[in-house]
Amino acid sequence: MKLVAAVLFITVSFAQPEIPDIKNWANDFTNTLLQDELQNLNYNLKTYQDTTTNQLVMLMIPTLDDYPLEDFAYETAAKNKIGTKEHDNGALLLIVKNDRKLRIEVGYGLEGALPDALASSIIRNVIVPHFKKNNYYAGITAGIDAIISAIAGEYKADRDSSEEDNGTPGIITLLMIIFFLFTFLFRGKRRRGIGPFIFTGGGWGSSRGSSGGFGGFSGGGGSFGGGGASGSW
Amino acid sequence: MKRGMILGCSIGGIVLIIIAILVIWGISAYNNLVTLNETVNQSWSQVENQYQRRADLIPNLVNTVKGYANFERGVLTDVVNARSRVSQMTVTSEVLNDPQAFQRFQQLQGELSNALSRLLVTVENYPELKANENFLQLQAQLEGTENRISVERRKFNETVQTYNTTIKRFPTSMFAGIFGFKVKEYFKSAPGSETPPKVEF
Repeated sequence: MKLVAAVLFITVSFAQPEIPDIKNWANDFTNTLLQDELQNLNYNLKTYQDTTTNQLVMLMIPTLDDYPLEDFAYETAAKNKIGTKEHDNGALLLIVKNDRKLRIEVGYGLEGALPDALASSIIRNVIVPHFKKNNYYAGITAGIDAIISAIAGEYKADRDSSEEDNGTPGIITLLMIIFFLFTFLFRGKRRRGIGPFIFTGGGWGSSRGSSGGFGGFSGGGGSFGGGGASGSW
Repeated sequence: MKRGMILGCSIGGIVLIIIAILVIWGISAYNNLVTLNETVNQSWSQVENQYQRRADLIPNLVNTVKGYANFERGVLTDVVNARSRVSQMTVTSEVLNDPQAFQRFQQLQGELSNALSRLLVTVENYPELKANENFLQLQAQLEGTENRISVERRKFNETVQTYNTTIKRFPTSMFAGIFGFKVKEYFKSAPGSETPPKVEF
Protein backbone atom coordinates (compact mmCIF):
# COMPACT_ATOMS: atom_id res chain seq x y z
CA MET A 1 0.00 0.00 0.00
CA LYS A 2 2.66 2.41 1.02
CA LEU A 3 4.51 1.78 -2.20
CA VAL A 4 1.41 2.45 -4.25
CA ALA A 5 0.83 5.65 -2.35
CA ALA A 6 4.42 6.66 -2.90
CA VAL A 7 4.21 5.99 -6.62
CA LEU A 8 1.00 7.95 -6.86
CA PHE A 9 2.52 10.80 -4.96
CA ILE A 10 5.52 10.89 -7.25
CA THR A 11 3.39 10.99 -10.39
CA VAL A 12 1.28 13.76 -8.94
CA SER A 13 4.22 15.80 -7.82
CA PHE A 14 5.76 15.53 -11.27
CA ALA A 15 2.73 16.96 -13.03
CA GLN A 16 4.46 19.82 -14.68
CA PRO A 17 2.81 23.20 -14.87
CA GLU A 18 2.96 25.09 -18.08
CA ILE A 19 5.85 27.54 -18.13
CA PRO A 20 4.47 30.90 -19.24
CA ASP A 21 5.84 32.95 -22.11
CA ILE A 22 6.52 36.32 -20.61
CA LYS A 23 5.45 39.26 -22.73
CA ASN A 24 5.60 42.05 -20.19
CA TRP A 25 7.82 43.24 -17.41
CA ALA A 26 4.98 43.02 -14.92
CA ASN A 27 2.57 40.11 -15.23
CA ASP A 28 -0.37 39.43 -13.00
CA PHE A 29 -2.40 36.31 -13.66
CA THR A 30 -4.36 36.62 -10.44
CA ASN A 31 -6.17 39.87 -11.22
CA THR A 32 -4.92 41.35 -7.98
CA LEU A 33 -3.24 44.51 -9.18
CA LEU A 34 -5.14 47.37 -10.71
CA GLN A 35 -4.61 48.22 -14.33
CA ASP A 36 -2.87 51.47 -13.36
CA GLU A 37 -0.55 49.71 -10.99
CA LEU A 38 0.45 47.20 -13.64
CA GLN A 39 1.01 49.97 -16.12
CA ASN A 40 3.21 51.82 -13.67
CA LEU A 41 5.27 48.75 -12.92
CA ASN A 42 5.65 47.98 -16.59
CA TYR A 43 6.65 51.50 -17.43
CA ASN A 44 9.19 51.66 -14.62
CA LEU A 45 10.74 48.31 -15.36
CA LYS A 46 10.93 49.05 -19.07
CA THR A 47 12.58 52.40 -18.42
CA TYR A 48 14.93 50.73 -16.01
CA GLN A 49 15.92 48.20 -18.65
CA ASP A 50 16.46 50.95 -21.22
CA THR A 51 18.94 52.71 -18.99
CA THR A 52 20.76 49.76 -17.46
CA THR A 53 20.03 46.73 -19.70
CA ASN A 54 19.07 44.90 -16.49
CA GLN A 55 15.87 42.97 -17.06
CA LEU A 56 13.62 42.66 -14.03
CA VAL A 57 10.38 40.74 -14.39
CA MET A 58 7.52 40.42 -11.95
CA LEU A 59 5.21 37.45 -12.31
CA MET A 60 2.25 36.80 -10.05
CA ILE A 61 0.31 33.55 -10.44
CA PRO A 62 -2.45 31.92 -8.42
CA THR A 63 -1.01 28.54 -7.46
CA LEU A 64 1.57 25.89 -8.26
CA ASP A 65 -0.24 23.13 -6.40
CA ASP A 66 2.62 20.97 -5.21
CA TYR A 67 5.08 21.77 -7.94
CA PRO A 68 8.33 23.07 -6.40
CA LEU A 69 8.56 26.85 -6.40
CA GLU A 70 12.30 26.79 -7.13
CA ASP A 71 11.89 24.61 -10.20
CA PHE A 72 9.11 26.72 -11.58
CA ALA A 73 11.03 29.96 -11.01
CA TYR A 74 14.17 28.61 -12.64
CA GLU A 75 12.29 27.14 -15.59
CA THR A 76 10.35 30.35 -16.18
CA ALA A 77 13.43 32.53 -15.97
CA ALA A 78 15.52 30.22 -18.13
CA LYS A 79 12.87 29.65 -20.76
CA ASN A 80 12.22 33.35 -21.18
CA LYS A 81 15.93 34.13 -21.11
CA ILE A 82 15.54 37.15 -18.88
CA GLY A 83 18.63 39.35 -18.93
CA THR A 84 21.09 40.05 -21.71
CA LYS A 85 23.14 37.30 -23.27
CA GLU A 86 26.24 39.33 -22.64
CA HIS A 87 25.78 39.96 -18.90
CA ASP A 88 23.13 37.45 -17.76
CA ASN A 89 21.70 40.37 -15.83
CA GLY A 90 18.12 39.30 -15.31
CA ALA A 91 16.02 38.69 -12.24
CA LEU A 92 12.53 37.34 -11.70
CA LEU A 93 10.25 38.18 -8.81
CA LEU A 94 7.77 35.31 -8.67
CA ILE A 95 4.74 35.52 -6.42
CA VAL A 96 2.42 32.56 -5.96
CA LYS A 97 -0.47 34.29 -4.34
CA ASN A 98 -2.71 31.51 -3.05
CA ASP A 99 0.24 29.38 -1.92
CA ARG A 100 1.57 32.47 -0.10
CA LYS A 101 5.06 31.86 -1.42
CA LEU A 102 7.47 33.99 -3.35
CA ARG A 103 10.90 33.78 -4.84
CA ILE A 104 13.52 36.08 -6.28
CA GLU A 105 15.42 34.24 -9.00
CA VAL A 106 18.71 35.91 -9.84
CA GLY A 107 20.62 35.58 -13.11
CA TYR A 108 24.29 34.61 -13.13
CA GLY A 109 25.43 38.17 -13.79
CA LEU A 110 23.63 39.66 -10.80
CA GLU A 111 24.53 37.02 -8.24
CA GLY A 112 27.46 39.12 -7.05
CA ALA A 113 25.40 42.23 -6.40
CA LEU A 114 22.34 40.38 -5.19
CA PRO A 115 23.53 37.33 -3.27
CA ASP A 116 21.10 34.82 -1.80
CA ALA A 117 21.32 36.24 1.70
CA LEU A 118 20.39 39.71 0.46
CA ALA A 119 17.58 38.37 -1.70
CA SER A 120 16.28 36.49 1.31
CA SER A 121 16.51 39.60 3.45
CA ILE A 122 14.59 41.63 0.85
CA ILE A 123 11.88 39.00 0.86
CA ARG A 124 11.62 38.74 4.64
CA ASN A 125 12.13 42.34 5.64
CA VAL A 126 10.87 44.36 2.70
CA ILE A 127 8.21 42.44 0.80
CA VAL A 128 6.58 40.05 3.26
CA PRO A 129 5.47 42.69 5.81
CA HIS A 130 3.37 44.33 3.06
CA PHE A 131 2.02 41.03 1.79
CA LYS A 132 0.92 40.07 5.29
CA LYS A 133 -1.34 43.12 5.22
CA ASN A 134 -2.54 42.18 1.72
CA ASN A 135 -0.74 45.18 0.26
CA TYR A 136 0.52 43.44 -2.83
CA TYR A 137 1.31 46.49 -4.88
CA ALA A 138 3.22 48.12 -2.03
CA GLY A 139 5.16 44.92 -1.40
CA ILE A 140 6.05 44.49 -5.04
CA THR A 141 7.19 48.06 -5.58
CA ALA A 142 9.20 48.07 -2.35
CA GLY A 143 10.78 44.77 -3.32
CA ILE A 144 11.66 45.95 -6.79
CA ASP A 145 13.12 49.17 -5.41
CA ALA A 146 15.26 47.15 -3.02
CA ILE A 147 16.45 44.89 -5.84
CA ILE A 148 17.24 47.90 -7.99
CA SER A 149 19.24 49.59 -5.28
CA ALA A 150 21.14 46.36 -4.64
CA ILE A 151 22.17 46.00 -8.26
CA ALA A 152 22.66 49.72 -8.90
CA GLY A 153 25.70 50.50 -10.96
CA GLU A 154 26.26 46.92 -11.98
CA TYR A 155 25.61 47.45 -15.68
CA LYS A 156 24.86 50.40 -17.92
CA ALA A 157 23.25 50.62 -21.31
CA ASP A 158 25.65 51.88 -23.92
CA ARG A 159 24.12 54.09 -26.54
CA ASP A 160 24.75 51.83 -29.50
CA SER A 161 23.00 48.80 -28.19
CA SER A 162 19.94 50.72 -27.10
CA GLU A 163 19.68 52.30 -30.54
CA GLU A 164 19.95 48.88 -32.09
CA ASP A 165 17.17 47.72 -29.84
CA ASN A 166 14.94 50.50 -31.02
CA GLY A 167 15.66 49.90 -34.67
CA THR A 168 13.98 46.59 -35.41
CA PRO A 169 11.28 45.62 -32.99
CA GLY A 170 8.14 46.67 -34.91
CA ILE A 171 7.51 43.71 -37.17
CA ILE A 172 9.07 41.14 -34.90
CA THR A 173 6.98 42.18 -31.95
CA LEU A 174 3.88 42.16 -34.08
CA LEU A 175 4.64 38.67 -35.36
CA MET A 176 5.31 37.46 -31.87
CA ILE A 177 2.06 38.87 -30.59
CA ILE A 178 0.12 37.24 -33.43
CA PHE A 179 1.88 33.96 -32.74
CA PHE A 180 1.15 34.30 -29.05
CA LEU A 181 -2.54 34.92 -29.67
CA PHE A 182 -2.79 31.94 -31.98
CA THR A 183 -1.06 29.63 -29.57
CA PHE A 184 -3.39 30.64 -26.83
CA LEU A 185 -6.55 30.30 -28.88
CA PHE A 186 -5.45 26.87 -29.96
CA ARG A 187 -4.32 25.85 -26.54
CA GLY A 188 -7.52 27.02 -24.94
CA LYS A 189 -9.51 24.67 -27.15
CA ARG A 190 -7.25 21.73 -26.74
CA ARG A 191 -6.65 21.84 -23.03
CA ARG A 192 -10.09 22.50 -21.71
CA GLY A 193 -11.57 19.49 -20.00
CA ILE A 194 -8.53 17.30 -20.15
CA GLY A 195 -8.38 17.62 -16.41
CA PRO A 196 -5.03 16.68 -14.93
CA PHE A 197 -3.32 19.84 -16.06
CA ILE A 198 -2.46 21.85 -13.05
CA PHE A 199 -3.87 25.12 -14.23
CA THR A 200 -7.46 24.73 -15.23
CA GLY A 201 -8.97 26.78 -17.97
CA GLY A 202 -6.93 27.65 -20.97
CA GLY A 203 -3.89 28.84 -19.12
CA TRP A 204 -3.68 32.17 -17.41
CA GLY A 205 -3.44 34.01 -20.68
CA SER A 206 -7.20 34.03 -20.93
CA SER A 207 -7.64 36.10 -17.82
CA ARG A 208 -6.84 39.77 -17.91
CA GLY A 209 -3.28 38.77 -17.32
CA SER A 210 -0.40 40.60 -18.77
CA SER A 211 -0.27 44.31 -18.43
CA GLY A 212 -1.93 47.46 -19.30
CA GLY A 213 -0.67 48.80 -22.56
CA PHE A 214 1.23 46.88 -25.12
CA GLY A 215 3.80 44.36 -24.04
CA GLY A 216 7.05 44.28 -25.87
CA PHE A 217 9.12 42.52 -23.30
CA SER A 218 11.43 39.98 -24.78
CA GLY A 219 14.20 38.12 -23.05
CA GLY A 220 17.69 39.08 -24.08
CA GLY A 221 19.27 35.64 -23.78
CA GLY A 222 20.30 35.70 -20.13
CA SER A 223 20.92 32.48 -18.26
CA PHE A 224 20.33 31.39 -14.70
CA GLY A 225 22.03 29.06 -12.28
CA GLY A 226 19.50 28.78 -9.51
CA GLY A 227 20.65 31.79 -7.50
CA GLY A 228 18.21 33.74 -5.36
CA ALA A 229 16.02 33.05 -2.39
CA SER A 230 12.52 31.92 -1.52
CA GLY A 231 10.15 32.92 1.21
CA SER A 232 6.56 32.77 2.35
CA TRP A 233 4.09 34.92 4.21
CA MET B 1 44.74 -2.01 -72.70
CA LYS B 2 43.75 1.64 -72.71
CA ARG B 3 40.30 0.70 -71.59
CA GLY B 4 41.68 -1.30 -68.64
CA MET B 5 43.81 1.63 -67.53
CA ILE B 6 40.90 4.06 -67.62
CA LEU B 7 38.79 1.61 -65.63
CA GLY B 8 41.59 1.07 -63.11
CA CYS B 9 42.18 4.77 -62.73
CA SER B 10 38.55 5.57 -62.19
CA ILE B 11 38.13 2.79 -59.61
CA GLY B 12 41.24 4.03 -57.84
CA GLY B 13 39.90 7.57 -58.00
CA ILE B 14 36.59 6.57 -56.52
CA VAL B 15 38.31 4.65 -53.73
CA LEU B 16 40.48 7.68 -53.00
CA ILE B 17 37.46 9.96 -52.92
CA ILE B 18 35.66 7.59 -50.55
CA ILE B 19 38.69 7.46 -48.28
CA ALA B 20 38.97 11.23 -48.36
CA ILE B 21 35.29 11.58 -47.46
CA LEU B 22 35.68 9.10 -44.61
CA VAL B 23 38.71 10.95 -43.27
CA ILE B 24 37.00 14.33 -43.41
CA TRP B 25 33.92 12.84 -41.84
CA GLY B 26 36.00 11.22 -39.14
CA ILE B 27 37.76 14.47 -38.37
CA SER B 28 34.56 16.40 -38.04
CA ALA B 29 32.98 13.67 -35.91
CA TYR B 30 36.07 13.67 -33.72
CA ASN B 31 36.04 17.44 -33.33
CA ASN B 32 32.40 17.39 -32.49
CA LEU B 33 33.02 14.75 -29.81
CA VAL B 34 35.86 16.78 -28.36
CA THR B 35 33.61 19.81 -28.13
CA LEU B 36 30.83 17.84 -26.49
CA ASN B 37 33.26 16.23 -24.09
CA GLU B 38 34.52 19.67 -23.10
CA THR B 39 30.97 20.89 -22.56
CA VAL B 40 30.36 17.99 -20.20
CA ASN B 41 33.59 18.74 -18.33
CA GLN B 42 32.65 22.35 -18.05
CA SER B 43 29.21 21.66 -16.67
CA TRP B 44 30.81 19.16 -14.31
CA SER B 45 33.07 21.84 -12.92
CA GLN B 46 30.01 24.00 -12.29
CA VAL B 47 28.47 21.14 -10.31
CA GLU B 48 31.69 20.72 -8.37
CA ASN B 49 31.92 24.44 -7.65
CA GLN B 50 28.52 24.45 -6.09
CA TYR B 51 29.25 21.39 -3.98
CA GLN B 52 32.45 23.05 -2.85
CA ARG B 53 30.57 26.20 -2.03
CA ARG B 54 28.21 24.20 0.12
CA ALA B 55 31.08 22.54 1.95
CA ASP B 56 32.58 25.98 2.58
CA LEU B 57 29.40 27.25 4.16
CA ILE B 58 29.15 24.45 6.68
CA PRO B 59 31.76 25.51 9.28
CA ASN B 60 30.02 28.86 9.62
CA LEU B 61 26.65 27.24 9.98
CA VAL B 62 27.89 24.77 12.55
CA ASN B 63 29.49 27.54 14.59
CA THR B 64 26.35 29.63 14.62
CA VAL B 65 24.17 26.74 15.64
CA LYS B 66 26.62 25.38 18.21
CA GLY B 67 26.27 28.53 20.27
CA TYR B 68 22.71 27.64 21.15
CA ALA B 69 22.37 25.84 24.42
CA ASN B 70 21.66 22.14 24.29
CA PHE B 71 21.30 22.04 20.53
CA GLU B 72 21.20 18.38 19.53
CA ARG B 73 24.84 17.35 19.30
CA GLY B 74 24.14 14.26 17.22
CA VAL B 75 22.67 16.26 14.37
CA LEU B 76 25.68 18.55 14.32
CA THR B 77 28.25 15.75 14.43
CA ASP B 78 26.50 14.04 11.53
CA VAL B 79 26.90 17.16 9.45
CA VAL B 80 30.53 17.62 10.41
CA ASN B 81 31.35 13.98 9.69
CA ALA B 82 29.53 13.90 6.38
CA ARG B 83 31.35 17.04 5.36
CA SER B 84 34.78 15.70 6.21
CA ARG B 85 34.04 12.52 4.24
CA VAL B 86 33.08 14.66 1.26
CA SER B 87 36.18 16.78 1.40
CA GLN B 88 38.45 13.76 1.71
CA MET B 89 37.41 12.62 -1.72
CA THR B 90 39.52 14.30 -4.35
CA VAL B 91 37.47 14.93 -7.40
CA THR B 92 38.59 15.72 -10.90
CA SER B 93 36.76 15.37 -14.17
CA GLU B 94 38.33 11.89 -14.34
CA VAL B 95 35.47 10.82 -12.10
CA LEU B 96 33.21 11.13 -15.13
CA ASN B 97 34.87 8.18 -16.81
CA ASP B 98 34.76 6.04 -13.71
CA PRO B 99 31.19 4.97 -12.85
CA GLN B 100 32.18 3.66 -9.43
CA ALA B 101 33.91 6.83 -8.32
CA PHE B 102 31.03 8.83 -9.71
CA GLN B 103 28.54 6.85 -7.66
CA ARG B 104 30.65 7.20 -4.56
CA PHE B 105 30.78 10.95 -5.08
CA GLN B 106 27.01 11.04 -5.43
CA GLN B 107 26.52 8.91 -2.36
CA LEU B 108 28.77 11.02 -0.14
CA GLN B 109 27.19 14.27 -1.29
CA GLY B 110 23.77 12.72 -0.76
CA GLU B 111 24.66 11.83 2.82
CA LEU B 112 25.75 15.39 3.43
CA SER B 113 22.47 16.68 1.94
CA ASN B 114 20.53 14.43 4.29
CA ALA B 115 22.53 15.46 7.34
CA LEU B 116 22.04 19.12 6.44
CA SER B 117 18.33 18.87 5.93
CA ARG B 118 18.01 17.06 9.26
CA LEU B 119 19.84 19.97 10.82
CA LEU B 120 17.51 22.50 9.23
CA VAL B 121 14.45 20.56 10.34
CA THR B 122 15.77 20.37 13.90
CA VAL B 123 16.24 24.13 13.90
CA GLU B 124 12.47 24.50 13.73
CA ASN B 125 12.49 23.66 17.45
CA TYR B 126 14.68 26.62 18.33
CA PRO B 127 12.66 29.81 17.99
CA GLU B 128 15.55 32.07 19.05
CA LEU B 129 17.73 30.55 16.39
CA LYS B 130 15.07 31.05 13.77
CA ALA B 131 14.84 34.70 14.72
CA ASN B 132 18.58 35.24 14.47
CA GLU B 133 19.34 37.30 11.38
CA ASN B 134 22.81 35.79 11.11
CA PHE B 135 21.37 32.31 11.05
CA LEU B 136 18.65 33.28 8.60
CA GLN B 137 21.25 34.58 6.19
CA LEU B 138 23.27 31.41 6.46
CA GLN B 139 20.15 29.41 5.89
CA ALA B 140 19.36 31.48 2.78
CA GLN B 141 22.88 30.89 1.48
CA LEU B 142 22.63 27.20 2.13
CA GLU B 143 19.23 26.91 0.48
CA GLY B 144 20.51 28.95 -2.43
CA THR B 145 23.46 26.63 -2.80
CA GLU B 146 21.29 23.53 -2.65
CA ASN B 147 19.15 25.03 -5.36
CA ARG B 148 22.18 25.87 -7.47
CA ILE B 149 23.43 22.34 -7.05
CA SER B 150 20.19 20.95 -8.37
CA VAL B 151 20.17 23.40 -11.29
CA GLU B 152 23.77 22.60 -12.21
CA ARG B 153 23.10 18.89 -11.89
CA ARG B 154 20.21 19.24 -14.24
CA LYS B 155 22.33 21.16 -16.74
CA PHE B 156 25.05 18.56 -16.38
CA ASN B 157 22.60 15.76 -17.13
CA GLU B 158 21.46 17.63 -20.22
CA THR B 159 24.99 17.94 -21.57
CA VAL B 160 25.72 14.30 -20.77
CA GLN B 161 22.58 13.32 -22.59
CA THR B 162 23.67 15.16 -25.73
CA TYR B 163 27.10 13.60 -25.45
CA ASN B 164 25.82 10.07 -24.84
CA THR B 165 23.29 10.27 -27.64
CA THR B 166 25.96 11.45 -30.03
CA ILE B 167 28.45 8.72 -29.28
CA LYS B 168 25.82 6.00 -29.44
CA ARG B 169 24.44 7.15 -32.74
CA PHE B 170 25.53 5.63 -36.01
CA PRO B 171 27.83 6.59 -37.73
CA THR B 172 29.58 8.57 -34.99
CA SER B 173 29.45 5.46 -32.81
CA MET B 174 32.16 3.90 -35.02
CA PHE B 175 34.57 6.76 -34.42
CA ALA B 176 33.67 7.17 -30.77
CA GLY B 177 34.88 3.63 -30.09
CA ILE B 178 38.12 4.14 -31.99
CA PHE B 179 38.92 7.43 -30.27
CA GLY B 180 38.04 6.13 -26.82
CA PHE B 181 34.97 8.22 -26.02
CA LYS B 182 32.95 6.34 -23.41
CA VAL B 183 29.41 6.69 -22.21
CA LYS B 184 29.20 8.93 -19.15
CA GLU B 185 27.09 8.60 -16.02
CA TYR B 186 24.11 10.75 -15.14
CA PHE B 187 23.21 12.14 -11.75
CA LYS B 188 20.36 10.16 -10.36
CA SER B 189 18.19 11.44 -7.59
CA ALA B 190 19.02 9.26 -4.63
CA PRO B 191 16.16 7.13 -3.31
CA GLY B 192 14.48 9.06 -0.54
CA SER B 193 15.98 12.40 -1.45
CA GLU B 194 12.64 13.69 -2.73
CA THR B 195 10.99 13.28 0.63
CA PRO B 196 12.25 15.47 3.45
CA PRO B 197 13.66 13.55 6.40
CA LYS B 198 11.52 13.05 9.46
CA VAL B 199 12.95 13.93 12.81
CA GLU B 200 11.68 12.27 15.95
CA PHE B 201 11.73 14.13 19.22
